[in-house]
Amino acid sequence: MATLEIRGLRKTFGGVVALAGVDVTIQSGEILGIIGPNGSGKTTLFNTVCGVYKPNGGTIRWNGVDIAGKPSYAIGCLGLGRTFQQAMSFPALTVRENVQIAIEHGSRRAHGLGPRWSSPEELLEFVGLGGFADEVASVMPFGNLRRLGVAVALGGRPAQLLLDEPAAGLNEGESVQLIHLLRRAHELGVGICIIDHHVGLMAELCARLAVLHFGNKIADGPTEAVLNDPKVIEVYLGGDE
Amino acid sequence: MADASAVAVRRPRNSAWPSPASLILTAVVVAGVFAFPWLNPGYRALSFAVTTGVTAIVLYGMAIPFGQAGIMSLGYAGLMGFGAYTAAILSRDFGMNMWEAMPFSALVAALAAGLFGLPSLRISGHHFAITTYVMCELLRIALINGGKFTGAATGLDLPPIGTVLGVKLDKLSNTYLLVAAFMFISMLAAYCVARSRYGRTLRSIRENEQLARSIGVNTNMHKVGAFTLSGLFAGVGGALQAYNFRHISPDLYGGAISLYFALMVMLGGPRTIFGPLAGAIIVTFLPEVMRVDPVDSRIAYGLALIAVVMLLPGGVIAAAGRGYQWAVRALLGTRPKAGSADAGASWT
Repeated sequence: MATLEIRGLRKTFGGVVALAGVDVTIQSGEILGIIGPNGSGKTTLFNTVCGVYKPNGGTIRWNGVDIAGKPSYAIGCLGLGRTFQQAMSFPALTVRENVQIAIEHGSRRAHGLGPRWSSPEELLEFVGLGGFADEVASVMPFGNLRRLGVAVALGGRPAQLLLDEPAAGLNEGESVQLIHLLRRAHELGVGICIIDHHVGLMAELCARLAVLHFGNKIADGPTEAVLNDPKVIEVYLGGDE
Repeated sequence: MADASAVAVRRPRNSAWPSPASLILTAVVVAGVFAFPWLNPGYRALSFAVTTGVTAIVLYGMAIPFGQAGIMSLGYAGLMGFGAYTAAILSRDFGMNMWEAMPFSALVAALAAGLFGLPSLRISGHHFAITTYVMCELLRIALINGGKFTGAATGLDLPPIGTVLGVKLDKLSNTYLLVAAFMFISMLAAYCVARSRYGRTLRSIRENEQLARSIGVNTNMHKVGAFTLSGLFAGVGGALQAYNFRHISPDLYGGAISLYFALMVMLGGPRTIFGPLAGAIIVTFLPEVMRVDPVDSRIAYGLALIAVVMLLPGGVIAAAGRGYQWAVRALLGTRPKAGSADAGASWT
């Protein structure tokens, strides 16, 4: 089982402290949710783990290997996949080509830890885009674009997937479908770590929640306990939001 | 679910053979190009045709980073210069003929292309284009001030190409056929790159660099790699050009010439199989053969470029492909099968 161990992770932008020493351990066998108000450092956490930003301090160990400060492509190659807050795709290419690129890079890996896909069609079928292979990505409706984002990430054969607000902009029905998709990915052995604002969705999907507030982790544990934690209710659930 | 046996594998369209319509069109173009000397075009038209072919070789190289990876460089005249001067210097100092020198020309130009491409890791778009333009100009200045080694402003002379298998390649019509052969090899090579896994990787960089990196694409390496690869084309083109002109000088390889290359690629369309050739013909061949006033033709290029960028994104060949599909639909009232009638319109 793959483990992502984050210890004392610090990231500052000038005088702004985005992460003030965060400790989180993520096991690929679980579904972990990370919640927190806007500006609490959730996306910065993902971006720092995935090599978009270089950390100012702390360690990030992925399966025992220190990956802090490695370039993002190298981290992608190690089986740590991600999606982005904005629905991302290769817009001018067909849906098939979008996932084909990901699969080609995923299957090349000697230590690819996630499920292997034999063809783009198989992966598209899995995420529910089976009939859209020949569509150009940019003309697809937003909900499908979100799925395509997950498909591209899965194509890279991640053992652990970090999802940054995958349900943002989706309606109720689409969110439910997304939860199903993530559950099925999890059943294939992909670790799921998800950031979202939608507490209902998080409560349904995640067994464990971590809460960030101003770059600090203020709670971490079973979902129900965390959601009933007075500190969490004060800063997040009961706040001005 | 995820193992190989679970789901029937349909062959992805990308790896399929080109459609019959594309193959027929390609055959017509190849036959037309090779038949040209037998149409009695005259010395002037034939010599411009040779220049056009040499230019197209460079443009097919340029189409790889520009069309596939989406990075415009204005360094290609300079890279061609590296190829040409390498051939000339190897001939002068080591007595090498064109065939012996050509691999070195390609190699030197490829290394220079990688070097020219390095700034693309930090800057992009216009800024990168301007940087490469400046590199081209620096090369020109360096060649002018290179003393005896580069022949300074006068440049260098080269011997004739010579005879291969009893064919006198210095005869203009034979030079033309030689260049045409190299041009089609370049076209085929660029086509194969675009259709390959490597081509898809480059397109992922063009489309979304951040996403590409997140799935493990080493975007920096592939950017420099694409430039290096395109430099091979420029080096071969430079060697052919040097032996065709038999005299080269720094002014052939300045930034202004690079601008013309960019114009040609954009007019013709960098992502289409015949785009670079069409661009070279439109800009290098037609105005000279039709004896258009150089000032008029420059005005026309400017207007044409604006028109193409605004009205025909993808270039004239891509537009022709779309026009053909539209005509098929209008005449037959049906939609042509995807990929069946693209008239060579798209590589991607």
